[in-house]
Amino acid sequence: MASLRSSAAYRIAFAYAAVFALGIALLGVAVFYAMHASFVRELDASLAEEASALQEEYRTGGDAELAEAIAKREAVDTRDLSGYGVFAASGERLYGNLGRIAPQLGFQDLSVKDRAGQPDTGRAIGIDLGHGKRLLVATDLEPVEQIDRTVITLFVAGFAGVVLLGLIAALVLGGYLRRRLETLRLSAETIIAGNISHRMPVSARDDEFDRLAGTLNTMLERIDQLLENLRQISGDVAHDLRTPLTRLRNQLDAGQSILEPATPSQTVIARAVAQVDEILALFAAILRISEIESGQIARRFEQVNLSELVGEIAESYAPAIEENGRTLLWQVEPGISARVDRDLIAQALVNLIENGQRHTPAGSKITVTLQRSDQAAVVQVADNGPGVPETEWPRIARRFVRLDRSRSTNGHGLGLNLVSAVAHLHRGELTFADNRPGLTVAIIFPAA
Amino acid sequence: MRILLAEDDIETAEFIERGLEELGHLVLRAATGLDALHLASTETLDIIILDRMLPEMDGVGALRRMRAANVEAPVLLLTALGRIEDRVEGLEAGADDYLVKPFAFSELAARVGALARRLPVNVVPTELEVGPIRMDLLKREVRRDGEVIALQPREFRLLEELMRNSDRVVTRTMFLERVWKFHFDPQTNIVETHISRLRTKLNEGGKTNLIETVRGVGYRIANGG
Repeated sequence: MASLRSSAAYRIAFAYAAVFALGIALLGVAVFYAMHASFVRELDASLAEEASALQEEYRTGGDAELAEAIAKREAVDTRDLSGYGVFAASGERLYGNLGRIAPQLGFQDLSVKDRAGQPDTGRAIGIDLGHGKRLLVATDLEPVEQIDRTVITLFVAGFAGVVLLGLIAALVLGGYLRRRLETLRLSAETIIAGNISHRMPVSARDDEFDRLAGTLNTMLERIDQLLENLRQISGDVAHDLRTPLTRLRNQLDAGQSILEPATPSQTVIARAVAQVDEILALFAAILRISEIESGQIARRFEQVNLSELVGEIAESYAPAIEENGRTLLWQVEPGISARVDRDLIAQALVNLIENGQRHTPAGSKITVTLQRSDQAAVVQVADNGPGVPETEWPRIARRFVRLDRSRSTNGHGLGLNLVSAVAHLHRGELTFADNRPGLTVAIIFPAA
Repeated sequence: MRILLAEDDIETAEFIERGLEELGHLVLRAATGLDALHLASTETLDIIILDRMLPEMDGVGALRRMRAANVEAPVLLLTALGRIEDRVEGLEAGADDYLVKPFAFSELAARVGALARRLPVNVVPTELEVGPIRMDLLKREVRRDGEVIALQPREFRLLEELMRNSDRVVTRTMFLERVWKFHFDPQTNIVETHISRLRTKLNEGGKTNLIETVRGVGYRIANGG
């Protein structure tokens, strides 16, 4: 029910059905009153005819003739409410069975008690016979009321049918709209989930949904192209700078071998080499990330024993971390393996461990864990350092993002970006959590 | 040694040639893949240094043809920075080692040295001996002056690499590739920490240090003693 209320498609369909039902109801009421009025008019006409016939009797035969004519008519009429009455100017009834006092002239509704004592309505006409004498001819409204009742019953039944049909139509229409929109939504979800090349389905009907899907596809195509351009540019820049940098590094290397060792000029060149190497490391990272993001490496995935790999890396890093005044602990669930690129998973984990070391004060504890969770492998690196505010989590995995406080430390701001690219390449994700205190970073990806 | 150098960038080629000649090697140069293929199949060579990207026929294509033509000289493939695919493809095509450009010349020299020392595939040594150290590769046992030294598997692998390349420098990246199978450059120097632990174990009891540090390049174990 909640989903019906929160659905615009159903809301529109129901609103349409409701407006339609209201229209039918208004039409019904109008028709009913028009019909009712027409019946009453017909009744009035026959009353007028009757009255003028009696008036004619009175003119030719006076009271005697009229009274006889009335008596004759009353004898055959068995209706509940009908009758005649002739009244003197004083309002006193002279003859006829209608007990009404001081009738008015013209058409009028009568409210009387019928023979069973129930209140009933009738219709009457009063005419002037001259010298203040008045004739009242009345008839029962029952036949009109009966028709009214039949019409109302029919109409209510018909209306209920229309409303029911409207509801069914609304459900069908709402469902249809929702289904069409749902296909678009699901396609969008697929794209968000990382299947960038997925497109909206377009049917041959070429209706507005198909045209919308077509437009969205064109838009996606365009975004795709822009992203590709961006990737290309960063790749190209790094690529084109590679040759001159290689030459520069070679020159410095050659210079180093010519100069006497341990001279001030040696020191200068050594520093220059170190700086060139830093730039090269940055380029290597950019190029590697572009290569990972292109997804081609996925072809070379092979079954890797993750438990062994994670254990080995943690074991290899523990002494180095210890020398840097921090502790590395690890907890590895045995027997976890997956189809991965061994080198990239290793690099991702190494980056996380190195981040943990770089962004924590001496004496901190870094914990590496590998565990299975459902069908996924979870590689987690947690530290008890200062941590990262939750608001920054979405930013830190982006390219070149470095938090202000880490600007003074080494690193090029691509470490986590590479980890994130590796996670995505393995159809996984990079997640952050508060370790209270410290930061917990995890790579979660499908594992057999 | 006679070394074929296939590199199309003249400056890089000259830099490598000069360095190799200083080490006493004879260098033949090729600027295209076709030239390289031609020289490899007509000349007697000890080592081939092949750039991945060459005009006319790329390095991997030339390498495949060389292997198809029974050129058996070890091949060192020079791959471009940040190209994982290059390395995998190159090794599949029959390269014996690879080096990512740009590199320090000392790194190239170490690789060339290691390739030149490589034993034919059909010879599998079961024991290595350098100075006072004997390594039994089957029993995974190391003795110095006859005394067993207990080593962690990784320390054993480090020492094995050094002993296989005795009197030659083994670089940091060579250790990372061969012992850890890391084909990237971590910022933390894990090689250094592990070498220092290995040294401590080998030198226990105040014995002379056998593993020499070559600054900025790597480590070496001397056979002379």
